[in-house]
Amino acid sequence: MADSDKVRLRLPSTIKAGDVVQVRALVLHPMERVERDAQGRIIQKNYNYVNKVIVTYLGKTILSFDTSQGVAENPFFSFTFRATAPGPLKVEFLDTSGGRFERTVDIKFS
Amino acid sequence: MRWAGLVALCAACAGPAGNAPDTAGLPPWTSRAIPEARGEFQVMPDGKRQAVRYRGWSTRDFNFRTYAYDDKRPEPAVQAVTMPAGLTGNPRLGFALFLSRAKGPCTGCHLIPGDDVWPAGNVGPDQSTIGDRNVTDQYLYQVIWDPRVFFPNTSMPPWGTVGVLSPEEVMHLVAYLQTLKGPVPPEKDPDRNPLTRRKPMGFGDNLDPTNNPAVLLADGAEAVWAAKGPAGKACADCHEGGVAKAMKGVATRYPKFVKAYRRVMSIEDFLTVHGPETTGRPLLAESTDNINLSMLIRRASNGMPVNVDTESPEARAAIARGKATFDRRVGERNHACADCHTVERGANKFLGGRLLADVTSGLTRHFPLWRTDRSEVWDMRKRLQWCMTPLGMNMLAADSIEYAELELYLTTFDNGKPLSVPGIRH
Amino acid sequence: MSGMTDESQMTRRAALGALGALGVAAAGGFVMGAPATARAQVLGLNESVQETMKRLFGDRPIKDGEALVKVDFPPIAENGSVVPISVTVDSPMTPASYVKNIYIVADKNRIPFVTRVTLAPEAGRAFMGANIRLGETGDLRAIAEQSDGTLLMVKREVKVTVGGCGG
Repeated sequence: MADSDKVRLRLPSTIKAGDVVQVRALVLHPMERVERDAQGRIIQKNYNYVNKVIVTYLGKTILSFDTSQGVAENPFFSFTFRATAPGPLKVEFLDTSGGRFERTVDIKFS
Repeated sequence: MRWAGLVALCAACAGPAGNAPDTAGLPPWTSRAIPEARGEFQVMPDGKRQAVRYRGWSTRDFNFRTYAYDDKRPEPAVQAVTMPAGLTGNPRLGFALFLSRAKGPCTGCHLIPGDDVWPAGNVGPDQSTIGDRNVTDQYLYQVIWDPRVFFPNTSMPPWGTVGVLSPEEVMHLVAYLQTLKGPVPPEKDPDRNPLTRRKPMGFGDNLDPTNNPAVLLADGAEAVWAAKGPAGKACADCHEGGVAKAMKGVATRYPKFVKAYRRVMSIEDFLTVHGPETTGRPLLAESTDNINLSMLIRRASNGMPVNVDTESPEARAAIARGKATFDRRVGERNHACADCHTVERGANKFLGGRLLADVTSGLTRHFPLWRTDRSEVWDMRKRLQWCMTPLGMNMLAADSIEYAELELYLTTFDNGKPLSVPGIRH
Repeated sequence: MSGMTDESQMTRRAALGALGALGVAAAGGFVMGAPATARAQVLGLNESVQETMKRLFGDRPIKDGEALVKVDFPPIAENGSVVPISVTVDSPMTPASYVKNIYIVADKNRIPFVTRVTLAPEAGRAFMGANIRLGETGDLRAIAEQSDGTLLMVKREVKVTVGGCGG
């Protein structure tokens, strides 16, 4: 089951039809950095980091981030979407260990 | 004028008037912190003493004066020295030493020319044209070795006296400094010079959960608040209505003198005694539960003005001792908190790349806070313990009375200002 | 992926072909819409930014993007662990003309590729924000790829503050 406790999303409290809405998203994740041994060689192992963020709105993927370990620990991402209709906005974070973290927000117009 | 050899000047003259703090009536305190936060030492198989500290922190035993009330060691005695004959300084080595983070670095306080010199500070005077002042090598040698000979209350450490720099290294620095003559080339990059550098922007809204991971960790402590401890009780059993309601206003009075324990306590200190005697949970100082609960409790007073007691006899005595600690020179660097954190000295100037904070602006009301560079939550005590690094001094136990009273003194400057927990800082 | 034209599908395949040599980044899954799965990663040695740019864009011309690409990069980062950045590209974001990718590349990072944001017109604005890591002072680049394949780049130096006496 996707771990939503580790995800926070922030959107404006008022959204009108047609608005381009900015979303702020954070996921708690170690974003493991490349380690080196005493000789300075990279230690080969499966580093655990978020490498994909998928944003789905009304069932369609509207944007995604592909990320390296160059993104900070507990990564923060921000993006926009055009609010054309009420419905779900889902943000999913995938990591290199098969971890999945997601949160869905129900877009309503006011 | 010749200085004949090493003359140890009166040690008592080397610092501020030394009225020892009145510590009568303070109870002995056995630390209730996690092992790495107790300021303890272990003896290794080779007989050497090694500090038990947080992972990644120095394990060095700094053999210099600490904040402990029973530490009666004086400051290092002032040394007037003669520049050794027969040594030639190499300006190239001097430049490398000036930048070396294993030493000062000198650039922490002093600007020098060089496009790649980044980041230099301005706590001390700009050295870019020191070579034009035509001072003697001997003078420069003495200033670096022990500036207190000329400037008795200087913030500059006595690098030679405490053994950070050797005579050869000081010679190299002298030779380098004497090469620094004007005219100074026009500044290409205003950020290079601390006088024109842009101030840090901070890390945004500390209460935004998509900006500050500590907010999520504080949220997570709600479960600890509600869960029954080993004694079969939960915090929530006595403190009803949810933590935000039950704890509203409480943190504005901390740190405070707690009669039952005859000492000043912060929220974190209090949890170390209150947890076990109610819920049965140890809540050791610097444990995850202690820090996260502290955030949860303190943020219940967000927006309310800090209001610590400064009037009772116990508070006055503790604040006086805390102020004495703030002004006390300690460590290998022989610094007092006041050297960095008062506007008369370093505050609002750059120490290397870091802007130094002014104590009178109030430095405690955003603790505990998220350290972006460490990906950790730090409470005030861990921040005080970390200061041992720039001071070259052994840290004390996180829940020590010395730190509590220092924290109380610092908090008097937050009085009247609104709490905003958790904070977020570099 | 619905919402994308056939033309963009072809471009995507071409891009994936070029990315095939990327090693760890591609292994993580540049395939749109497919979840990343755990797989062993073979990490290369440090890559230079020239090598990264070559792998991402080959010999394609990259134009100066100052007119359209607005970057919000801090001139001084207090530490290299968390550097907040954002990029906005002036674009109508219609199916006929939109920004399909924004790349962030840090010259001095051991792995210069930081992130690629892939956008559909439904995003409404060619905007991205992220907190990134920077190894040391150096140039940070934003490269926008428009739907017609045009590449636009802006770069700025970001100074990374190394700890002073107190860290």
